[in-house]
Amino acid sequence: MLGLPEEFTPAFIARLEQLRVKTRREYVGLGKGSHLSPHRGSSLEFSDYRHYALGDDFRYIDWGLYGRTDKLYIKLFKEEEDLLTYIFLDASASMAYPRSDRKFAAAVATALAVAYVALAAGDRVMLRVLGGSGAPAALGFVYGRHRIVDLARTLGALQPAGEVDLGPALARELVSIRRAGKVFVISDFLALLNSVERGLGLFTAANMDVSAVQVLGATELEGQGLSGDVEVIDAESGERVRVSIGQLERAKYRETLLRLSGEIRSFCFRSGLRYALYKTDLSFHDFFLHAATLLGLVH
Amino acid sequence: MGLLNPGALYFLAIVPALILAYLARERPRQVTVSSVLAFRALHKMRGERFAGRPRFRWTFFVELLILCLAVLAMANPYIARKRDQVAVVLDNSAPMQARTADGGTRYRAAVAQAKEALADEPGDSAVTVYLTAPTPHPVTGTAASPETAAAALDRAQVSDAPVNPAAFAGLLTQLVTDRHLARIIVASYRTLAPPAPPKVRAIATGSGLPNYAIGSFVLTSGTLGATTVRARLTIANFSSAPATLKAAITADGKPASDAQAVVEPGDVATLEFPNLPLARVYQAQLQPADAFPLDNVAFATAPGARTVAILFVSPMAADGESLKSIPGITVTTRAPAAFTPQDLASADIAIFEYTIPKELPAVNALFVIPPPGDPIFDFLAAPAAQLQVTGWPATDPLTDGVNFRLLNLRSGEYLGEHPWMQAMVSGTQGGLLLVGDRQGHRYAATGFNPFPYLGRQNLPMSILTLNLLSQLTGLGAPTAGFRTGEPWIVPAGVKAITTPTGEHVPVAAGQTFTRTDQQGVHELSGVGEPTLRAVNLGDLATSDLENVPPIKIEAAGSASTAPAPPVATPLTPWLIALIIGLIVLEALFVYRPRVIEAAP
Repeated sequence: MLGLPEEFTPAFIARLEQLRVKTRREYVGLGKGSHLSPHRGSSLEFSDYRHYALGDDFRYIDWGLYGRTDKLYIKLFKEEEDLLTYIFLDASASMAYPRSDRKFAAAVATALAVAYVALAAGDRVMLRVLGGSGAPAALGFVYGRHRIVDLARTLGALQPAGEVDLGPALARELVSIRRAGKVFVISDFLALLNSVERGLGLFTAANMDVSAVQVLGATELEGQGLSGDVEVIDAESGERVRVSIGQLERAKYRETLLRLSGEIRSFCFRSGLRYALYKTDLSFHDFFLHAATLLGLVH
Repeated sequence: MGLLNPGALYFLAIVPALILAYLARERPRQVTVSSVLAFRALHKMRGERFAGRPRFRWTFFVELLILCLAVLAMANPYIARKRDQVAVVLDNSAPMQARTADGGTRYRAAVAQAKEALADEPGDSAVTVYLTAPTPHPVTGTAASPETAAAALDRAQVSDAPVNPAAFAGLLTQLVTDRHLARIIVASYRTLAPPAPPKVRAIATGSGLPNYAIGSFVLTSGTLGATTVRARLTIANFSSAPATLKAAITADGKPASDAQAVVEPGDVATLEFPNLPLARVYQAQLQPADAFPLDNVAFATAPGARTVAILFVSPMAADGESLKSIPGITVTTRAPAAFTPQDLASADIAIFEYTIPKELPAVNALFVIPPPGDPIFDFLAAPAAQLQVTGWPATDPLTDGVNFRLLNLRSGEYLGEHPWMQAMVSGTQGGLLLVGDRQGHRYAATGFNPFPYLGRQNLPMSILTLNLLSQLTGLGAPTAGFRTGEPWIVPAGVKAITTPTGEHVPVAAGQTFTRTDQQGVHELSGVGEPTLRAVNLGDLATSDLENVPPIKIEAAGSASTAPAPPVATPLTPWLIALIIGLIVLEALFVYRPRVIEAAP
């Protein structure tokens, strides 16, 4: 439907309409919106007092405080602005393997779902693709729920390819971002842990509210469906490793992969990042609606 | 257990090579994965760890087993078992047809008693069965079981041929001196001369038996154009009392004549039948009947019914033409330059005078004064102006009736030692008449020239010539007819012989025909009208059943028995069956899933 993934059924879209992105901090937006901004504004959220000055709107004079202190104070309120939402989608070659797991399709669906939530709430969304082929050079902020169609078409033309080192890649993206906001990083995070930590840590240091979605395939977790003597080739680096895979090796592989995933999750918790793991054997609807809270999406 | 070909075990060197290749492993399949991070944590591939714990692949071990079994099969393994070796000698000669008091025959009684004797042998004995007629020969392998040997005894047939006492004694002597033979069972109507070796178990079937017999039945034609033939029958009385023996002759099944004579015990009489009508087959029947009916019947066929075709290759055609004066002979002359091997197709014998063919002729042949130095025959010749005969055999069909003292040979050549021909008549400086067999044919060579054939003008030479021709045409038997058990040379033009029992045997001219162990009339068919040939027992020594001399076994006293050698049971057939089974098993398990995958 309109180039959206098949998971975007009317019922699911209706559920997405009820969600909105929540941040742990207040960020400056680009226009009026529904998120509190550090700017003083005209919302109902009290912010501070200041002495009355000539020309101030005396509707904001706190008359109670005047009665107690015999001085005029003006009540200041916070501004409500839109939220700048950044979605970073990993389209490196690793997202294409194992093909039966359809990891990239799941990541695209997740990115579009997040984008829709933000757009539906009146926020601005910037979608950035890491690696891949067939992607546009750079997309600016999009605004309005109808732009989800453009995003879907853009991602529909995208094919996972290339090697992406998550740390440097995210650092480059950070340079091009001028304002802080909500950041979603969707990836399989199958990289060295320090590279992942460096990439995500940069966003944290830049006062971003980061949510990480790790997409792993069910087959991928079970030894990639391999057995016997195999020479495995890394889809990105081309590194080759010869292994003999049996029951014991398959169990050890799964244990290692889950340990790597657990270390990323621990890092996220330690660093105040939000984290959710999406195993592609789960229904996308079930995953997204249950992981929404973890990712900072609230009703 | 042992190995007949242990050298084959060197092939087992392939096995370590195969294992090394297995340990080194083949290139594994390549698979692209999302990341090798988690794979790095695994151990290296077992195959890359040389001598590490190999991965279990059952097909490898099955193929290794197949290879080992194949090498073992090449080594011909066997299991050695010690089995008693037993020989059974069953006399199946004509006298075994004599009836016994219970109405059976000596032969059936001998078979029954031999089987009983076999039943006493251990079940794992290795038995060899021999028959004695027409010549002693084995009818089973050397390691037959007693059951197989008993079955062979049941299948054996009694023959109309007499036994050759010398060959029979020779066989027994050979068996007795075989130290590995534990027992020898001899079933015959003949007894063994004492002392019988202890390992011989003699089964004598029947004692002395009175018998009347026909010795010979000879037909001679009268003058040219006569309408009758003359027959001469010799009869014998081998009983203890004088007997009046009556012989009746039928011509083509119709009574023709009869005669009788009173014959004293052990005596032989001759009956003449001067005017028998012309017929194809004559049969003589002797009365009274006795317990051995075979020699109470004799057959004869019309004489002179067959001519002998001679191919005479010589630069002197007149020499060959002279042979035409011999009745029953047709001669075709050829100059040496015109001779081709195809000329032999219609010849019974070939005569080469002063010349020699370029290859061994495919018929019986006579070479007269052959040129020396020929690479095929390699005759050594020493020319002499006057040949002198110094030696000849006293009793031989070839020299029978020849007065060598009256033989004037004049000039010729002495023939030196020959690789395969023996000197039958020799002179002062070498052989004068050489005889030998080669490739189933009979060849003779003379250092003198018996031609031209002059008949009565040179009687000694004419008799020698006729003897030579008779010998080369297979007519050189001392009796007028053919005897059971004696092989013939198939005459020219004959392509098949029908035996008295109706069996049709394809033959080729010049071949030796050995299926002559049945008494009766054989029909020789081929080009032209079939000819008949009568075969009779015709052996009064065999017919004398009252005075049967015992068989004397030479060196019987020195016979001893050694432990039975082990009999090897080969395991190779079982190994091959196992290999085939394993291959089929592997194919079933390995290839069946692929077939299913390939199915739509």
